Amino acid sequence: MHKRLWLAAVLAVPLAVQAQGYAPTRPVEAVVHTGPGGGSDLLARAVALMIEKENLLPVRLQVVNKTGGGGALAAAYLAEKKGDPNTIGFFTGVWLTNPLTSNEAKISLRDLTPVARLVLEPAVIAVKADAPYKTLGDFVSAAKQKPGELKQSGGSITSRDNVVRQQLQKAGGARWQFISFPGGGERIAALLGGHVNMMVIEPAEAGEHIRAGNMRVLAQVSEKRLPAFPNVPTLKEAGFNITPVPQVRGVVAPPGIPKENVVYWEGVFKKLTQTESWKKFLAENQFEDGYQNAADLTRFYDEFTNQMRSILQEAGVKTVR
Amino acid sequence: MKADFWSGLALGALGAYIIAQAWGWEYLGADGPGPGFFPLWYGIAIVALSLGLVASSLRRGETQAIDWTGASRAFTTWLALALAVAAFKLVSFHVAFAALTFFIVAVMYRRPLLVAATVAVATTAAFYVVFPLALGVNLP
Amino acid sequence: MEVFSGLMHGFAVALQPANLLWCFVGVFLGTVIGVMPGLGPPATIAMLLPLTMMMNPAGAIIMLAGIYYGAKYGGSTTSILINVPGESASVVTCLDGYQMARKGRAGAALGIAAIASFIAGTVGVVGIMLIAPPLARMALAFSSPEYFALMALGLAMVVLLAGRSMVKALLAMLVGLWLAGIGTDLFSQTSRFTFGQLELLSGIDFVVVAIGVFAIGEVLGNMQMREAAEALPVPKGLRNLLPTLQDLKDCRFAFANGSIVGFLIGVLPGAGSTIASFISYGLEKAVSRRPQEFGTGVIEGVAAPEGANNSETGGALVPMLTLGIPGSSTTAVLLAALVLWGFKPGPLFISENANLFWGLVASMYIGNLMLLILNIPLVPLFAQVLRAPVYVLYPIIIGISIVGVYSTSGSLFDVWLLAGFGLLGYFMRKLDYPTAPLILGLVLGGPLERALRQSLMMSDGHLSILVSRPVSAVMLSLALLILLMPMFGKLNTWRLRALEK
Repeated sequence: MHKRLWLAAVLAVPLAVQAQGYAPTRPVEAVVHTGPGGGSDLLARAVALMIEKENLLPVRLQVVNKTGGGGALAAAYLAEKKGDPNTIGFFTGVWLTNPLTSNEAKISLRDLTPVARLVLEPAVIAVKADAPYKTLGDFVSAAKQKPGELKQSGGSITSRDNVVRQQLQKAGGARWQFISFPGGGERIAALLGGHVNMMVIEPAEAGEHIRAGNMRVLAQVSEKRLPAFPNVPTLKEAGFNITPVPQVRGVVAPPGIPKENVVYWEGVFKKLTQTESWKKFLAENQFEDGYQNAADLTRFYDEFTNQMRSILQEAGVKTVR
Repeated sequence: MKADFWSGLALGALGAYIIAQAWGWEYLGADGPGPGFFPLWYGIAIVALSLGLVASSLRRGETQAIDWTGASRAFTTWLALALAVAAFKLVSFHVAFAALTFFIVAVMYRRPLLVAATVAVATTAAFYVVFPLALGVNLP
Repeated sequence: MEVFSGLMHGFAVALQPANLLWCFVGVFLGTVIGVMPGLGPPATIAMLLPLTMMMNPAGAIIMLAGIYYGAKYGGSTTSILINVPGESASVVTCLDGYQMARKGRAGAALGIAAIASFIAGTVGVVGIMLIAPPLARMALAFSSPEYFALMALGLAMVVLLAGRSMVKALLAMLVGLWLAGIGTDLFSQTSRFTFGQLELLSGIDFVVVAIGVFAIGEVLGNMQMREAAEALPVPKGLRNLLPTLQDLKDCRFAFANGSIVGFLIGVLPGAGSTIASFISYGLEKAVSRRPQEFGTGVIEGVAAPEGANNSETGGALVPMLTLGIPGSSTTAVLLAALVLWGFKPGPLFISENANLFWGLVASMYIGNLMLLILNIPLVPLFAQVLRAPVYVLYPIIIGISIVGVYSTSGSLFDVWLLAGFGLLGYFMRKLDYPTAPLILGLVLGGPLERALRQSLMMSDGHLSILVSRPVSAVMLSLALLILLMPMFGKLNTWRLRALEK
């Protein structure tokens, strides 16, 4: 009889292990599309630190930089790792917009496995402190009176900066120029130097300039007021009935991985967003919690893509997909 | 000089290609110069200058003897390099690099095989130690 | 005086034993990274960030800053010895530095690079100390038309780098402009010249082209001769192991030139140390009594760009510390580090964190001194590298180039590009096309085009914006003057010939 129990126990062990499900056994690659020190890279490193601190993974998260193609190379790299559950990637908005405008960027989120959406990045609309505009309405009416004369500094025309501009122009019946600068530093310098009139800027970047009295915020690009800006109206409150197109960051995995792996990763990130360190991280960086699980993320992706496509086409950008 | 003639022609072809591509892009957009603006202008400059080069080479009419032995040595080395790069994915950096080094020492510089082998192994080992181990830099 | 008391407080912070140690670690690490091609300060600083969380912020920023300017010291080493630019800013040092090495004066070149770096680095720190805030405000007045004029001035330098055939130099520069344009256009998101290749969407990395054309091109070129007895003459005698007093005298203007030009250009966000070194080099050649010797191994041709790329680090820290605006990729990472430690870089940073700021400034004086002391004795040591026989040195050069390029992007495609540009470099040497203008066009092409299009957008299409603003008008006229100089020379020769008749 002991023999039978023993046999049963021996047989039960592998079953028990199976029931526990998948867990990584060697360091996991976290692919980012920026170089060291870039936005995605810093987020991934911060997440890796938090995961280690909160013991959410049995192994280390190793950040791998695959720069190039504005994100397309990183996406392609992930697609090549088909079926490998030991790799994840941190995506940002450019992963979503690149396939729309670039022939060479063939890999979209649909070709990968969405895992979770993590944060929403809010933004504010800022002008130089000595500008004559006190509200967003002032700026838009001024632009209406002098079509094409006022200027906004920002990133590329597919960036959120321009999307906000397109939406505002449509809602306000005005038109102003958009001048692209490759780096955040240059955009801010252009505004502070008086060479452009307005810019869309992230609250974390703007914080110090506002505190020093060089910049003034007209409105915030979000649904609800951010805790750091209790007195600044949102777009809707400022009189513009616009639903802000969110700028997102999240996690994806290579295509063709088994369902249980997706569930595992979803679980890890859900737990992460519930920890104190995560909440602290969000507050410090002035991010909004935008957690969505894989299914919601897929739905969001479809909505977002369709919305972006029409906005880009209205802006006169050639879309290829 | 013969060299100028051919290089001028090659550059002229490049310039023509640039102009052809730039033609298909927007020259002047609503907001300012488009993507075709700059390439068109420097494409034209390239074509103009290379035609000038070709013309002056024809005018001078000299032909300079080309050092074929030297050129072939350089080209062979380049081929070896290209093969080594192609081999990185297949046999790993270390093997391919060692092979390349061996080739350079033994074939290009005609040193004895033992010397070539030693150099190949030593340098590959050095690279292995310095880069992945000490500095954490990945090798191809 | 406020500055003086601030500095005294700063030294009190910087001279604490722990901070001295971190300073040393930083500059040492920086030198090592600078020597290695491809491995750069941004990557290293980012990798060390988690470790710095456990340190006290003063020590941490002192160390990271040490890595930043230390790397510029190290970058010249491989440029001079084996024609491989260790840092993108060291490309210009290759031009005369490597030629000096070929003539057996590698030691002098390495030495003068260290000395020029020390002088310029110190000037840079003095600059931060004395004129940072007002200079930063002035820099804000610099806008796209001025950037365009600056880039145009830089490109006009092609005239000074031309060598024998102006046509070939111009062609090389234009090809450089073309290479710079490969990728995704910022303004319209159109892909240009990408041949359907994903990897080309963000353009060709400058490091790949520079190392390919310079290093691999040189190796292939030398392969033509079977029995090249020794690669480069090993410097013998103290005269060649270190710079002589005469050398130091010759470089007086170069020291000043490098320090000032580098610092001023560094203050402008977005202009980089490569541009600074090119302009400093061009300026040095323009005022030199022996301009035709530049490119063959003239010591001022090493001192000026090396000084410029060091004081540029000081300059780049100005907008970062006074306005919270990063001017380059390294300052962007440093900024991120400050934010990570809980500081708020911006216009109020210096006044609110006076101790940290002055501690950093003081540490930079100390760091520069440490680097000088570190590097000078190492010079004869490094020069001995050239003792190695050719057939050992060349495979090593090839290996370092490959690893250097691969470490920046992790893509095998870039290694292929490296091989391709190596072949290009070989052809350029064979067919007598100067390589410096190619690099010049590649570095300046992107910013030039962007600045032009931004300016035209700002002025609604009126080109007059480029000349109606005083600063850009001055720089553009200077550029025009430089471009017309050879014609004055030719006119003079014709006139003399006509007079003779």
